[in-house]
Amino acid sequence: MVSTTTTTSESGGFDPAGAGALRVRARAVRRSPSLRMIGRRLLLAIPVIWGTTFLTFCLMNLLPGTAASALLGASATPQSIAALNVKLGLNEPFPTRYLDWLGNALHGNLGTSLATGQPVTSLVLSRLEVSGELIALAFLLALGCAIVVATAAARRPGGIADWISVVVSTAGLSVPSFVVALALVLVFAVKLKVVPPLGFVPISANLGWNLRTLILPAVTLAVGIFAVFNRLLRADLIDQLQTEDYVTTARAKGASPWRVLIRHALRNSLFGLLTVAGLQIGALFGTTVVVEQVFSIPGVGQQLLSAISNEDVPVVEGIVALIATITVLANLTADLLYAVLDPRIRHDSASS
Amino acid sequence: MAPAGPATATPDAAALLDVRDLSVVLSSGGRPLRVVNKLSYSVGRGETLAIIGESGSGKTVSSRAVMGLLPAQAEITGSIRLLGSELVGLPERELRRHRGSEVAMVFQDPARSLNPTMKIGRQITETIRLHASTGRRAAERETVELLGRVRLPSPERRFHDYPHQLSGGMRQRVMIAMALAGNPRLLIADEATTALDVTTQAQIMDLLLDMQAEYQMGLVLISHDMGLAASYAQNVLVMYAGQAVERAPVRELFANVRMPYTKVLLDAVPRLEREPRSPLPAVRGGQPDLDPGRRGCAFAPRCRRCEDDCRQREPALETHEDQHSWACFHPEDPAPQPAGPTLRKVQS
Amino acid sequence: MTVQAPEQPTQPGASLRALTWRREPKPRWKGRLRRRNLDLWIPGVVLGALLFACYLLPLFGVVPNPMNSDLTATLRPVFSPGHILGTDAIGRDVMARILYGGRTSIEVGVSVNLIGIVVGGLIGMYAGFRAGFLDSLIMRVLDVMLAFPALILTLVIATYLGPSELNVIWAISVFSVPAYARLARAVTLKLREERYVDAARMSGRSNRAILLEHIAPNVLPQLLTYSLLQIGLVVIIEATLSFLGAGVGPSQPSWGTMISAGQVYLSTNPALVLVPSAFLFITVVSLNVLGDGLRSRFGGAQ
Repeated sequence: MVSTTTTTSESGGFDPAGAGALRVRARAVRRSPSLRMIGRRLLLAIPVIWGTTFLTFCLMNLLPGTAASALLGASATPQSIAALNVKLGLNEPFPTRYLDWLGNALHGNLGTSLATGQPVTSLVLSRLEVSGELIALAFLLALGCAIVVATAAARRPGGIADWISVVVSTAGLSVPSFVVALALVLVFAVKLKVVPPLGFVPISANLGWNLRTLILPAVTLAVGIFAVFNRLLRADLIDQLQTEDYVTTARAKGASPWRVLIRHALRNSLFGLLTVAGLQIGALFGTTVVVEQVFSIPGVGQQLLSAISNEDVPVVEGIVALIATITVLANLTADLLYAVLDPRIRHDSASS
Repeated sequence: MAPAGPATATPDAAALLDVRDLSVVLSSGGRPLRVVNKLSYSVGRGETLAIIGESGSGKTVSSRAVMGLLPAQAEITGSIRLLGSELVGLPERELRRHRGSEVAMVFQDPARSLNPTMKIGRQITETIRLHASTGRRAAERETVELLGRVRLPSPERRFHDYPHQLSGGMRQRVMIAMALAGNPRLLIADEATTALDVTTQAQIMDLLLDMQAEYQMGLVLISHDMGLAASYAQNVLVMYAGQAVERAPVRELFANVRMPYTKVLLDAVPRLEREPRSPLPAVRGGQPDLDPGRRGCAFAPRCRRCEDDCRQREPALETHEDQHSWACFHPEDPAPQPAGPTLRKVQS
Repeated sequence: MTVQAPEQPTQPGASLRALTWRREPKPRWKGRLRRRNLDLWIPGVVLGALLFACYLLPLFGVVPNPMNSDLTATLRPVFSPGHILGTDAIGRDVMARILYGGRTSIEVGVSVNLIGIVVGGLIGMYAGFRAGFLDSLIMRVLDVMLAFPALILTLVIATYLGPSELNVIWAISVFSVPAYARLARAVTLKLREERYVDAARMSGRSNRAILLEHIAPNVLPQLLTYSLLQIGLVVIIEATLSFLGAGVGPSQPSWGTMISAGQVYLSTNPALVLVPSAFLFITVVSLNVLGDGLRSRFGGAQ
């Protein structure tokens, strides 16, 4: 089951041990020659995107309740509903409507919002900037902290860093993100009053305030992915230290344990971490919806929620399609990036 | 010939490496295993010592002990003197200063022993800059020169290569260059050629010996391959169950094998002179007992010359004849042995 | 000609290799807890107490009606007389709402996973066993479903089905089924290679019989082990849905809705948020610890 805060590794669930997982995945990617792999992934991406948009369209249009009646509200009479249906093109047969939508979507036209009449594409894109900044911030935070903590934990397993990471990870994975969010608000906004509890200031207005309004939501998002990164990275680092021969060589050269850890082991783990990071973006969108709601951040997630409750079908469609595309592309990019960065793939190997 | 007493009595002051009564006890699932048992040997400048033994004989662990690469849980007793400095009991920080600079190691599998995501040039400059305050450019120049010395073709281009772009033999040359980068006095080659094909093996061994001469180093060859010892070493030390069971100059060992275990090793070698279809002699029995409380000779259960006293007391390594020591109460008779595989290049 | 000493089987050699490296010391407390099975007992007792409190305690008449709103007693703090955990904004007893909300979480958690195991398990076993075109097709569909951020679709589905516990269960099951199907398929693929399957096939057993007698009994334990960890996940998802307003609706207490309603009072009565949060935390952690403990003892789902 794809969760809000835990990993969507390709097995579709938890990766309990995680040991060597980053580099096992790396080896798997390496085995298939780059071009073939790219081709295959691209081919797979297309049905995935199509499938999700189709699924959403079905849901939107086959479920009880129609947009028209919602829009008209209490003053709805059967005739006015019917009239609005015609106007919105909702009385066309389902396949027609879908193909119309699909055709337009491929041209970048995601329809018009039923609530505001504005084109969906521009509505969504403007919100996407905000969500994008939030997600990017969360990512950087999670990645940075995970690398530092996992390295320290690998250096001294069972030490302080290990304890911290266990506590944070457990907390992050055992409660819904809104609980984490509210806890953070309680401590930092209500009691300590260092940041506002909600609201958003765009970057164009004031960078300092922008960061201050985004820091708590970013941390909330980051906690979940931190847990995943940290567990995998730590396990991978320790696995390298224990089983890989080049670690022995590095020590035999007279390198200090930190140097061995950072310049040799971490180096090799980072590639795999990138791939996992890409896969996390999908799960991250789900959490973003919740976080934007709690902190009143005017992003794509909040927009989705209000569109759902307004039954603003084109907007919901558009956002879902967009998120599906971004998720799939992120996964694809992560894999490709790995293939590009790993020197073993970049340079052809010589004999034996 | 009167026995000259235990081989460990007089420390060799001029020796590069002087190991005395080294014992290493590791804990395996709660049970202690004495993997190295009162090992003593020494290596001098320009000397080539081969340490021969099976897997589990303690040869690798003892060399790791010299390098200081054993985990903290290992109990190390005895003495390891490298260029006069005592290594046993030193903290990690101190050990690191010796590693790579005074004593260096070449490992078995160069494919796995090199970091796959780092250019080989960089892996060598790292060694140089760890032990000397050399600038980056100077280190790079030194590395290219080193790569040339280990006879790697086109060293300037190879500098920027990754390990997977090189063949097995080339990788091992890189490992050797890396080991030499710190200007070590002592080089330990732990099964350095086992993973290579025969032709490459010979080339690498020749290279090692040439480098030894050039750098005036002591060279320790660790192997399970008697032929290697015969071809390249001056002195041979045979280990079994963590103990040194026989030590002699190479010709003497092959001519005059004494320890029954060594004899069995030599006998088991397939030889062209043997009768066709004659069964290959093998050692019967199982793994030696590494329990620290074991009494008697470790080889006793499998030895055909075993007597009662062998099971009661542990024989110590004693020098009996000229430079030839063995640890056995009932050694083989000094009958002439068929000369083993052709002795090719022996350092004098 | 290379000459080699006879190599004995490498038993000391292999273990030595492992020994001659720094072994990661397992966190000591874990070992101690494990040895006395505490890591099973503690969560077990906690969950048992929770089940008892949610389902049996009300039978003793000590729990007030969670839907009864008493406008004269709103926003009472914890440890008030008559309301051990206080009251919410419209005077409903928090303790009662917690207990009945617990029922919601448990019921949704268990139901979703049951559906997942049964439906997903069957699909996965079938796909893994038959292989070929049908299998590929099923796999593609599963891939599509699992590649998408599930919470969003679940949200959409739950909203449009309407607020009710049953609808929430359906909505979350949509993503539970593919997850179990994938696992079941993976296990089945491996089991298919086992000799006893060949033996059964050669003795003429029908595919369905083989599936039922040989494959299923081996797939099921793995699914069950996986499910313990998944129940916690579903509890979290249900809470999230309720928090966002797409959950069970106002007719039924849910921890998520309680937190959502309590947000406004975060600065004045943080207990309204903290109490259900604490219960969520304890429940999910217990489930996870129990799941981990069982899995490490009985081997399991990857």
